[in-house]
Amino acid sequence: MPEILGASGLVVELGARRGLLRHQAGVRAVDGVDLSVQAGETFGIVGESGCGKTTLARALLGLQREADGEIRLEGRIVSGREPATARRERAAVHYVHQDPGAALDPWWRVGAALAEGLTIHGVRDPAEQRARISETLAAVGLDPAFAERYPHELSGGQQRRIGLARILLLRPKVVILDEPTAGLDLSVQAAVLRLLRELRGRFGLTYLFISHDLSVVRRVCDRVAVMYLGRVVEEGTARDLFEAPRHPYTRALLAAAPRLPPPARAGGQGDPLQTSGAADIPSLPGDPPSLRAIPAGCRFHPRCALAEPRCAAQDPAAEVVGPEHSVACHRWREAAPVPSQHSTEPA
Amino acid sequence: MSGIGLPSDRSGPVRSGSVQLPTFLRSGALRKLLRDPVATLGLAIVMFALIVAVFAPWLAPHPEDAYESHLLQRLQAPSAEFPFGTDNLGRDILSRVILGTRSALVVAVSVVGAAMLIGVPMGLVAGWKDSWLSELLMRVTDVFLAVPQLILALALGQLMAPGLTTAMVALALTYWPFFARTVFAETRRLRTSLFVDALASIGASPARILLLHVLPNAAPAILVRATIGMGFTILTAATLGFLGVGAAPPSPDWGLAISEARQHLPEAWWFPTFPGLAILLLVLGFNLLGDGLRDAADPRLRRSRR
Amino acid sequence: MHATPAPARAPLLSVENLSVQIRTDGGLARILDDVTLAVPRGTTLGVVGESGCGKSTLLRAILGILPRGAMVPKGAVIFDNTDILEDGAKSARGRIGFVPQDPYLSLNPVFRAGDQILEIMRRHAPGTRRDHKAKLIELFRAVQLPEPEAALAKYPHQFSGGQRQRLLIAAALACDPALVVADEPTTALDVTTQQEILALLRQLTAERGLSLLFVTHDFGVLAALCDQVVVLYAGRVAEAGPTRAVLDAPRHPYTRLLLACHPDRAEDLVGIPGTVPAATAQPEGCRFHPRCPLARPACHAAPPPVLPLAGGRGVACPYNAEELPEMVLA
Repeated sequence: MPEILGASGLVVELGARRGLLRHQAGVRAVDGVDLSVQAGETFGIVGESGCGKTTLARALLGLQREADGEIRLEGRIVSGREPATARRERAAVHYVHQDPGAALDPWWRVGAALAEGLTIHGVRDPAEQRARISETLAAVGLDPAFAERYPHELSGGQQRRIGLARILLLRPKVVILDEPTAGLDLSVQAAVLRLLRELRGRFGLTYLFISHDLSVVRRVCDRVAVMYLGRVVEEGTARDLFEAPRHPYTRALLAAAPRLPPPARAGGQGDPLQTSGAADIPSLPGDPPSLRAIPAGCRFHPRCALAEPRCAAQDPAAEVVGPEHSVACHRWREAAPVPSQHSTEPA
Repeated sequence: MSGIGLPSDRSGPVRSGSVQLPTFLRSGALRKLLRDPVATLGLAIVMFALIVAVFAPWLAPHPEDAYESHLLQRLQAPSAEFPFGTDNLGRDILSRVILGTRSALVVAVSVVGAAMLIGVPMGLVAGWKDSWLSELLMRVTDVFLAVPQLILALALGQLMAPGLTTAMVALALTYWPFFARTVFAETRRLRTSLFVDALASIGASPARILLLHVLPNAAPAILVRATIGMGFTILTAATLGFLGVGAAPPSPDWGLAISEARQHLPEAWWFPTFPGLAILLLVLGFNLLGDGLRDAADPRLRRSRR
Repeated sequence: MHATPAPARAPLLSVENLSVQIRTDGGLARILDDVTLAVPRGTTLGVVGESGCGKSTLLRAILGILPRGAMVPKGAVIFDNTDILEDGAKSARGRIGFVPQDPYLSLNPVFRAGDQILEIMRRHAPGTRRDHKAKLIELFRAVQLPEPEAALAKYPHQFSGGQRQRLLIAAALACDPALVVADEPTTALDVTTQQEILALLRQLTAERGLSLLFVTHDFGVLAALCDQVVVLYAGRVAEAGPTRAVLDAPRHPYTRLLLACHPDRAEDLVGIPGTVPAATAQPEGCRFHPRCPLARPACHAAPPPVLPLAGGRGVACPYNAEELPEMVLA
């Protein structure tokens, strides 16, 4: 499959201030990221707060200026433009916010907000707008009557559907989904994920799926990248990453995520209290360091159980572990793959 | 409402309670307003004042008292014939209060309207981006804020002919900075909000965002400022009239009446009292209405019945 | 879970047939109906449910902070043999600790963190300020806050999210409560931080013999932390019992369908058809019946009572949920 969206050596700085007398350097929220998203896939980005995933998304969209590196869309280089025009060239990429209710103007009816996108992009005829909106609302599973509502009158799941409808109207090719299941009830979450899958097939979309919910990512993503402090530390197919994680951070992350244990076999003895298996894998010590004080060498080494002197001195480059699986760690070979409880096999 | 077997979401809103769909000017907002007794009172007062102002010449029992004097009847206490008494020139105070409503409302609306026309665009432009222009605009605003209204009115009265128009110009020139500052603060707050970000992300131009989205969201704040301004203007215009740099005799202006009444206190207690009460009532009405309108117009606010 | 043969003591907290209603613009909201649950001493009870299930109201009832206008037509909340609903939870003050959900919003940013907790202690715990300070430093150590003495003087914004949550846990423990009530305290945290907080809670409850009532919507967290679970749906108890048993073999159709939605278990991505009813328009009879594939006419007639099952379990459904796999799930 051809690459539809890609980045090489992407660096994004935030918060640089240039006053008359002093210059405060910004932080590198994204510090050398390579990415290649294939057309039609769901590419997951996983990481905790401060890892740079939202900044990465904004930079890919053109809302945040890149300090260095290249961004490609459908083969063309689209980075390096003036802020005013950067977004325009990437109209094929759209973004669904983490909090879709807050992404809608509270004073506008939902239908008007949907129509506005069409107006901005040249579709002004009211009849055509109505037709497209009805069609799209149906595609996301909402009654056309929802167009008359205000955002605060919708439930979380409905708001998410409207958020999707809004950008679907603009015929995107790549959709960046920022925490699409955060804050949703389990049953609503399942319905939304199912909808996303349907829409992907129906409209030929490619998803960049940003989430901290590892269970969901394992379920819906084809390939996944794990970010830590602005870098990608491991990348691979969902299966490889979750069954045989190589980077110590990935392992710690997977170990920390509480999992719903599979039902015990009939007649068997389940543990009376299944912990998340964290007994044998210690939790990550310390808080993640701030972006202003990035550790030398490998960024993760202060919290890494496998750290050696080499790790503090030299920043590891990405090495190939297997087909489509790469990891940025000096010692990945030494850490034998732990039989992870996150197997993709059904219980 | 729920459909079994459908992957879609066909339910109504999950919340219990508000189903109102108010837009700023729609009847939904009105209905919401009317459920708030205090705001309804404000609305009633303002509507009452409006009707009085429009029909003043017909409502006033002695409309000719706007300009005629009847010295034989001067300074009579309230009676059946003259419910509010008569003033120092024998004019029926009730009629003059009624007639003065017009001038009070016209002044209030014109001043606040003019201040809005100047201040709101300034605030929008200044608040949108942090640039030298916004700095400049805000410093200009500060300069005007520093000028006391009365002093400016007096000074302008020297330059231009003293009178009601001069007073109105002075009031507008000193009130617009409040609008500018309010709108500036709202614009700055809103420009980092998620929905503005989303609009930029779907390609909306700054002009579109400012006029169609930031402005309506700033409307509640502007509205509060405007109704406070109405009350404030009426009070200040009355003060200017009192000082002699506003309305000129024989205008039935309320402030002027209070001024004229000074010398006849404390015997003719009715002379300043009724115009004073009129001012009080109208200012109160605007303030109550303003609070109520702001709450009613915001689509997000709802109240549960206690 | 304990297998002590000793005479059973009364549970520390017992909610009995609790119903809570409130008048709203849209009508009478029957938020909770006939809810019964118990937290035995020294155990952790998880309360799990989706939005609209009434778990926040349940918490508020236990803490004695029901909103003005809320009515309790029937039911009792018995804490340590006293009905705390009768006296507005006054007798429970200082003996039930509360860990709120959002560590970023629950601390007043303009006061020092230490002072805020000391204020709680001043109101509910005996002793001088010096005693309280010493105790607080001990608590900070117990919740593994770095540099406990220095932490007393810091402002909330000087702590990270995980540290703030530890502060809130310390606040909940400040008056030596027997019961701690936690409202999804880890939802706002990163996964690795969450793991630490959960481990901390496990450790503290074991060390101090605390009972814990833990509200959550995350089944993974539930499995990791709670001995017992109560599943709420639309203000009623759907199912209750030991966590592992309920998760392994759910008996109520709702629990079964809900667990089938979880990405770790789902055969395929399905939801549960329909939506949670509004509190002002609850269905007659069993509140789940409009969405239930097993629904029969009897379900519409009367709410099903909670049937006791073996192993300390209860389920509010007379039908066998294991028939569900044959049913269409989408």
